[in-house]
Amino acid sequence: MYAHAGIVLGVMAGVFALARLFKITTELSMLAAAIGGAIAHGGLISPRHIADGAFTYFDVTLIFITATFFMNLLKHAGGVDYIIRGIINRFHRHRLLCLLFLTLVMLVPGALTGSGSVTVLVVGTLVGTVLTYMGISKDRVAAIIFLCAAMSAAAPPINLWAMMAAAGSNMPYVGFFLPLGVISVLGALFSMFFLGWKGTPVQLDKVMAELPEPAQGMAGWKVLLPFVVFFGLVLAGRIWPWTMPTLGLPLMFMIAAAVTVAVSPKRLPIFTVARETVQGLLPLIGVMVVVGILVQIMALSGARGLISLGVVTLPLPVIFAALWLILPFSEGLVQYAAAPLLGVPLILLFNMKGINPIIALAGMAVMFPIGDMLPPTTVVGRATTMAVGFKGSYYRGFVKRCLIPAAFILLLGTLYIIFGNELSFLVAG
Amino acid sequence: MKANREWIIKGIALAVWAGVLVSSGIAFAQHRQYKEAVVLGAGVVDVRTLGDYFEPLKGTTNDCNIYILDSGVPGGTLLIMGAVHAEEPATNLAAQLIVENASATTGRIIVAIHENRSGSTVTRPGDAYPQFFTIETDWGEKKFRMGDRWANPLDSWPDPETYVHYPSGQLLAYMDVRNMNRTWPGRPNGSLAERTSYAFMRLIEEEGVDLTIDLHEAELEYPIIGTIVAHQGALDVAAMVSMMLTAQEFTIGMEISPLALHGLSHREIGDFSDSPCILLEAPEPFLDRVRGVTDEALLLTGQDEFVMKAGEHGLLYWPIDENGWPIDIRVARHVRTIEKITELWTRFHPDEAMVVAGFPTYNEMVELGVGHFFHDPSTVSQDRVAFE
Repeated sequence: MYAHAGIVLGVMAGVFALARLFKITTELSMLAAAIGGAIAHGGLISPRHIADGAFTYFDVTLIFITATFFMNLLKHAGGVDYIIRGIINRFHRHRLLCLLFLTLVMLVPGALTGSGSVTVLVVGTLVGTVLTYMGISKDRVAAIIFLCAAMSAAAPPINLWAMMAAAGSNMPYVGFFLPLGVISVLGALFSMFFLGWKGTPVQLDKVMAELPEPAQGMAGWKVLLPFVVFFGLVLAGRIWPWTMPTLGLPLMFMIAAAVTVAVSPKRLPIFTVARETVQGLLPLIGVMVVVGILVQIMALSGARGLISLGVVTLPLPVIFAALWLILPFSEGLVQYAAAPLLGVPLILLFNMKGINPIIALAGMAVMFPIGDMLPPTTVVGRATTMAVGFKGSYYRGFVKRCLIPAAFILLLGTLYIIFGNELSFLVAG
Repeated sequence: MKANREWIIKGIALAVWAGVLVSSGIAFAQHRQYKEAVVLGAGVVDVRTLGDYFEPLKGTTNDCNIYILDSGVPGGTLLIMGAVHAEEPATNLAAQLIVENASATTGRIIVAIHENRSGSTVTRPGDAYPQFFTIETDWGEKKFRMGDRWANPLDSWPDPETYVHYPSGQLLAYMDVRNMNRTWPGRPNGSLAERTSYAFMRLIEEEGVDLTIDLHEAELEYPIIGTIVAHQGALDVAAMVSMMLTAQEFTIGMEISPLALHGLSHREIGDFSDSPCILLEAPEPFLDRVRGVTDEALLLTGQDEFVMKAGEHGLLYWPIDENGWPIDIRVARHVRTIEKITELWTRFHPDEAMVVAGFPTYNEMVELGVGHFFHDPSTVSQDRVAFE
């Protein structure tokens, strides 16, 4: 069994590496790896394994798409411009408050969608512009946008790594709000203030001239109302669970999107936004679908068991010492696939060793997105440098500038795992 | 030229995906619609459906068969529930084996083979379960559906953001709104699993069930394994069964149902009816996350090198060696434990006596295989065959 699973795993790794060598996209490379693994397992497998696997993260993908659609509508309505202009106008003399509110703005899109890319696409350019006019160098601006986007993806309520790992280990995605919230907010604030505290006073006129004008008639309540409706629906489900119809998160996001359209001061191109949303998300949706297929084939062939066994039989000190490197680099290699492949056995191990699995998973779930700037994929990192117009060296400029705050976040994540039990007071609905 | 090449690639990709989807669709439909034949044993006097006890469930996926084994002699009534989690096949096999072979000589036995039938019409995405498994019988192979822990999303979707258990208000995982061992005592207008639990509570009430037994299997990485979990109303019986079986036949533990954990059969059935509930857990290495190749062989033999290795590292709550945990032993543990429970229940509650007959012995089931006790549906009158 060891040899069989080892061969399957080797074939998968080989096919993936070969496909990447030929510049095939990550998701197609993983699909090729899955098919290669299936053939190595025993020739032709039932095609229903492909379909079955593709639906593994169906619900998560639906949430991801609808939440992003909602955020994109809000952006098109001018809500994001309105909020950012409001923050600068009100707090341009107070650097601390300005950075604080910009951090919060950065956290919202990723927290709701689970994707750092969405944060970069929705607010990255605008916040980057403001930061530049606060006297912060481009490499620092890019680093701030990336790290805040990474922390926004890690922030609750939607953390795709935690959701995928929890689903794989039969563990409810419940009780993560505070553990994820505390660590992601700390990580984002540290990144923003460490890299952005030094600078020059805000050049209000120049910023205002460069930021897009929000549509006529936009107001604070029009931005807030869709969020109030969304969180109201979530709360209603908890307050009146037995009378409130079960809507599900995707429909809640669609209702929030409908409210955005209804209160928007200008007519929104709904179908154009929907098309752009799906086109923009296609690579990530592809990854989620293909990761499911890959996991299914790995489970079928014993490769998943081999990885799990390898992980759970490692001594705990080795795991504590190595996770801060393994998790980001595995994310850089296979993106979200890292969560079910490594996250699930680690959760089982921590659970067996008596470490609070929710805190431990929260710690791991903030370490994964740091890897989104690492090779070979570098998805969010590259998107960030493009969004803020950073022209310098990707690794020696941008990545190097991220290192200290990233190390801080990875240290926080590691401490979460080591002191999981001591931090278990954070676990709440 | 380049554009043509792109369209050709897209066309091929579309054709391949269409092929995968059609082929998978057929496989999923065949799995969902497959019917397992059950030969009604001499003890079965009636076959009802769950919808008889709660009309709105009539005709739904979970309108499962309810087999009545009535002695005609006044006594206690025992309810046995199999496949609450349809990925635990020893449970429906044990229940079916009882329906096909057992009878009551005092009191009644009521059996549900697939308590959450919806769960038996789907396997878990990402886990590569086989859709079917076959058991060798004296007359050929008998085919069964493999299922999942949760009801099929085709029957119950979407899940809420968080599942709030009725009536305790306890917050549970969103997908557990489809998990029938988290939805007791149920409610009439809830999710499919909640409605099914509610229907079983009506059955318990209407039939005057005195004791309920809920059958399960568990992974070896899970601490509640190889044990009896009992509601406080059946602690005396459960403790005696555990002691006697462990001393004389095989090791089986005993645990008290936690008071603060809600939705579970062993807690809520006893709290919301006159029937205490006992839950039985058998070891199923197939469910372990560290398992090797996921196939029918592992499901039936329970032999797995990776799980054994995890055991060597002290990561399991139940022993395993190269013999694994074969399905025959797992079914035998359940059937024998049920028989022992009826013996001791009768001793403790003579006015609610449950005397049973026709149960194969533990050794017979292990040595001859459980397939030996399944009867050929083609050799009996069709009115003595039911379908699951």
